[in-house]
Amino acid sequence: MITVALTKGRLYKDFTAYLEDNDLNQYIDPLSEDTRSLYTVVDNVKFIFAKGPDVPTYVESGVADIGIVGSDIIEEDTFNILNVSQLPFGDCHFSVAGLPDQTEFRTIATKYTNVASKYFRDKKTDVSLVHLNGSVELAPLLGLTDGIVDIVQTGNTLKDNGLIEYEKILDIHARLIANKRTFYTKEDEIYKFLTEIGVF
Amino acid sequence: MENTLIINRLKLAQDYTELLDREGYHLVDMNMVEPFYIEDKEHHPSTIIFERNEQLMSIRSDWTRSLLNYNENFYLSQRFFGYFGPVVRGYETFYQAGVELYGPGEDEVLKSIDMHLSFFKTKTADTYSAVVVNNDKLIDLYMEKYGLDASIKELIYEKNISEIRKVLGGDHPLTVLMTAKVSDQIDIINDEFQESEALDFINHLRSHLADYNMKFILDLSFRSPQSYYNGFYFQVFLNHDYPLLSGGEYNSSAFGIAVNLSNGGLL
Repeated sequence: MITVALTKGRLYKDFTAYLEDNDLNQYIDPLSEDTRSLYTVVDNVKFIFAKGPDVPTYVESGVADIGIVGSDIIEEDTFNILNVSQLPFGDCHFSVAGLPDQTEFRTIATKYTNVASKYFRDKKTDVSLVHLNGSVELAPLLGLTDGIVDIVQTGNTLKDNGLIEYEKILDIHARLIANKRTFYTKEDEIYKFLTEIGVF
Repeated sequence: MENTLIINRLKLAQDYTELLDREGYHLVDMNMVEPFYIEDKEHHPSTIIFERNEQLMSIRSDWTRSLLNYNENFYLSQRFFGYFGPVVRGYETFYQAGVELYGPGEDEVLKSIDMHLSFFKTKTADTYSAVVVNNDKLIDLYMEKYGLDASIKELIYEKNISEIRKVLGGDHPLTVLMTAKVSDQIDIINDEFQESEALDFINHLRSHLADYNMKFILDLSFRSPQSYYNGFYFQVFLNHDYPLLSGGEYNSSAFGIAVNLSNGGLL
């Protein structure tokens, strides 16, 4: 049996929609059930449901053989995993945003300090970063920082809070990742699953 | 920790070091505190380093490094060494056992790998499931033959199949290789490169280990977590997710084999 760690939330919905689009019927019903269970088993595949930042940790340790996670998580932290394939869903991007008429960004609030730090370092721009765990849009509204670096999908959250997008930093997609050891020890089962979901 | 685990580890260490003694390996034991050279930091990031009397010192974190320093500092009559003992990485203690061969010929390397497999086969009811091998020089062969940019290496290391496909196209021989099952890669690479020293050794090893009836996997993405390995590298698995044996070439002319006494499925 192989274990696949799925990211809960929007990416999970995108994944089940992808299964439907590709007629992967054997997985659709069990994964669409409305339940509070943290895992489900379909034939030889155990799906576990985890928070995005925990998915690579499960895969790195070998508790999960495969993970489906946003590339934002892998860009922000370093994990000892195989970064196998981009998947055709979960598209969004990192952006710098702020209040209209903001002329420069000297302070930035973000949950993604490593991504933001690399971006401004590459631009040779001296910026102080403030780490926040969520609702980063509050930071410029309350005067904590000049702007934010955050994930933008539709842009509605920015718009609803009176912020505008200034610079696009990086595209984000769903990715399939794999454990470095069980890729060999469970080769047949892993290839069967990857072929089924269209990676190969 | 359970008593049986401690006793079994010590028994195994005794049997293993006695085997090495019989096979002509020079057994070593050393002080856990040793001189440290800052240029080694890149290869040993989890080593605890401190300063005494204007000299950087460290707590042993890797027997290979300790033995290499020993070998470089003293005139030695032996070429083959064996060890068992603790190492400290971060704040944790691990037990390592293994051998280091300096300037070995191919036959001596094959014999040592065989010796380890034969010995550990008698120590477990489990069977060997797979040996995984690679040599970075094989990637160089692809790069030379197809004039590939150096950036392709990183994509191979992380097995980034979607990006390789995007960069090279789905029909490129390297894309075809990387999307094949890993256990099929060796035959594809053999078809691609008939003449290669790196591949010759891998093929000899494959023949040498045929009697163990385990899957032989060559994967270009396979790399050691220890960055000092710079040529052939291998791991052997029991029916277990962590390797029992790991080893390979380093420092151009040395070869090491380490036994996993923590979670290799043996104890």
